[in-house]
Amino acid sequence: MRWLLRLYPRAWRERYGNELADLVDETGLSPAGAVDVTRGAINEWAVVARDALDGGQTMTIGPARHPRSWAIIAFALLAPTLLFLTLSALHSGLLDPANSWLNGQRLLDLALVALPVIALLVAAAPLVRIELRSAADGREAVLGVRLKALNVLVGLLALSIAGLLIGHIVFESVLQLGA
Amino acid sequence: MTDFQSSTDPGLLLLISLASGAKHGHAMLLDVERFAGVRLGPGTLYGALSRLEAAGQVEALPAEGRRRPYRLTDNGRHFLSERLSTLNRAVATGLARVEA
Repeated sequence: MRWLLRLYPRAWRERYGNELADLVDETGLSPAGAVDVTRGAINEWAVVARDALDGGQTMTIGPARHPRSWAIIAFALLAPTLLFLTLSALHSGLLDPANSWLNGQRLLDLALVALPVIALLVAAAPLVRIELRSAADGREAVLGVRLKALNVLVGLLALSIAGLLIGHIVFESVLQLGA
Repeated sequence: MTDFQSSTDPGLLLLISLASGAKHGHAMLLDVERFAGVRLGPGTLYGALSRLEAAGQVEALPAEGRRRPYRLTDNGRHFLSERLSTLNRAVATGLARVEA
């Protein structure tokens, strides 16, 4: 349950988080309750965003703490595709676009392509900070990016693998159309 | 907040619950379920409670162990009275028209 609380804005969580967690401990958390807590978090973010855009306190999302942990999780997500690619390249010439791509099982194929994309997002998430605020000439959103070497490295690796796979799919499709 | 809202508005239900005395979250949940037949989710309850507190209609009392009770403020009692009067007029008018 405690991890669901992390969905709430920090200020709200610091004020009401323990009480909400205690209430859930007392009543138990059904699937409907989990949906309700999640919806509550979305509502609170909407309240904070509306307040910021109406001239209240600036709303800041991120950067997430522990960027190294995010990078490790991203690499773990990337590992199955990386392993599959390495083995395929060694044994069946995957890098040759004339070869049939992967093994034709669509769900597995989809997972192998989706995982690097998800890994890229996970590696990049703690690098990004978004601020919403009211400015003299209207409302503005400010995007800030910080650089953490491990996250950038894993992100670039994920981007390369995703690009390689997508490129391979495109080549394969073009070759099949031409045949 | 508009003058007239659904009688299942969580904020209104919490104000009605607190009108009988200070309560913590779980007690409010049970009370609302008893008098209105509505089971509020935990996120809904604390979302409504946070807005009532921000509006100065309820206030937190010192924690009792892990529980923190809340009570109506004078402002909240006045607001609740006006809301219920509005609802009461609407209900009375509706009933009269349905039964006519």
